[in-house]
Amino acid sequence: MKLDVTGLTKCYGTTRAADGLSLSVESSRVLVLIGPSGGGKSTLLRMLGGLEIPDAGTIAINGQRLLSDAAALQAYRRKNGFLFQQFNLFPHLTARRNISLPLEKVHGHTPAEAHTMAEQALDRFSLLDHADKLPAQLSGGQQQRVGIARAVARQPEVLFLDEPTSALDPEMTAEVLELIQELADAGQDIILSTHEMGFARAVADQVAFVAMGKIAEFSPPAELFGTPKSAICQRFLSRVMRY
Amino acid sequence: MTRRPLIANILVALALVVGFGWLCTTVFAVLGTQTDWSKAWEYRETLWRGWWMTLRISVAALLGSIFFGLLFMLGQRSPLVVVRWTCRAFLEFVRDTPLLVHLLFGYFVIFAPLISRPLGERGFDDKLIIGILLLSVFEGAYLGEILRGGVDSIPRTQWESARAVGFSRFQVYRYVIFPQALRRVLPAMAGLFVSLIKDSSLLNVIGVAEYFYNTKNFISRSYAGLEGYVPLALGYLILTLPVAWLSHWLEKRFRHET
Repeated sequence: MKLDVTGLTKCYGTTRAADGLSLSVESSRVLVLIGPSGGGKSTLLRMLGGLEIPDAGTIAINGQRLLSDAAALQAYRRKNGFLFQQFNLFPHLTARRNISLPLEKVHGHTPAEAHTMAEQALDRFSLLDHADKLPAQLSGGQQQRVGIARAVARQPEVLFLDEPTSALDPEMTAEVLELIQELADAGQDIILSTHEMGFARAVADQVAFVAMGKIAEFSPPAELFGTPKSAICQRFLSRVMRY
Repeated sequence: MTRRPLIANILVALALVVGFGWLCTTVFAVLGTQTDWSKAWEYRETLWRGWWMTLRISVAALLGSIFFGLLFMLGQRSPLVVVRWTCRAFLEFVRDTPLLVHLLFGYFVIFAPLISRPLGERGFDDKLIIGILLLSVFEGAYLGEILRGGVDSIPRTQWESARAVGFSRFQVYRYVIFPQALRRVLPAMAGLFVSLIKDSSLLNVIGVAEYFYNTKNFISRSYAGLEGYVPLALGYLILTLPVAWLSHWLEKRFRHET
């Protein structure tokens, strides 16, 4: 995917979550956002995903300018996928229904089609055994995997993942990361934010370090993790890599 | 059950039965000679018509209150601040004044001069329609608060996830928020509907011939006592108990699901 962000600003009260942020990505399959909590990763991701409207600035993905009217944003969200830290699934619906309901109501598939597509999506990630369980009966890792299955059931243009493993224990984290790796290998365009540095390094082909509402550094992972240039990024990495 | 609580239970039960029995015999001793159930039988037709009217009012006002409740709930979530405040102020006013006042004021001062004649000309019972309307608004105000509480209790991520999968504003409510919110507020709603049935008796003040009104007339005409009030209480119980049971059943059923 190709990404062009210029002068992106978003304020919540007096805090500037994004502060004139600019980023230009010529071509990237998996773009990973890292950086300190509260640095603006989530806000950037949510604006890229069309869930939040910037106060100022422009976003263009694959040459398409992202508009800020409600209808255009809804259409945009429909062709992409988005996953949050947790509670993605609708708790009153089974895993299968969580996937098939949007396929029916948003994308206009017939119930039978939606059923089959949901089945395929679950099967792809070996979740078919859990098809008829409610989210509360699934582990956190399984919930996230069903969430991803839902997001990719209709081949999204870009898949946005906002710290998809932050609420999980190490074992579940591994199962979710493996799944994301698998998607990346299959050619899915992904933009994700994470605190898992090892994973970021392994899966990314471009890494952006986001801090204080700006992109402090942007380069391929080997470079960014090997020889970080900005002081703030060096400090961050030396801290998180210490343990 | 071990021995001690068993004995205690039996003793308390005995005391209650004796107490209640004593109360009943005293009341019957005073009224018994005058109680004549054939009076109630004589008036069975008016009583039946009143009861049937109460049932119809309740069903109509139940539907009406759902309509107004939804309206008030959405009004309070409106993006326009003026709509939100007006809605809040109106709800506060309605909830903090007696239904009796709404009925008297609403009927005699506001609606009767406005629409009684046109309604009457078209062959409608204006009292009944205005009464149902006022009752719907009153219960709708409470329902609006209940629904708002339910909708507010749904975590933010659910709204976001619903938007993220591409649902429209309406679909977010329809498929994600309402099904979850309703489960949480069903018991409260059932409680409100029980109140609604009982509150419908107040429509007698504007002359709607419902169950209480007809029973009252029967009592004052025939000097009845127990034979009027006992069927009155039973008549309302027949309406309210199923709703109460239904609510307990729903509560139990949905408790396991979330």
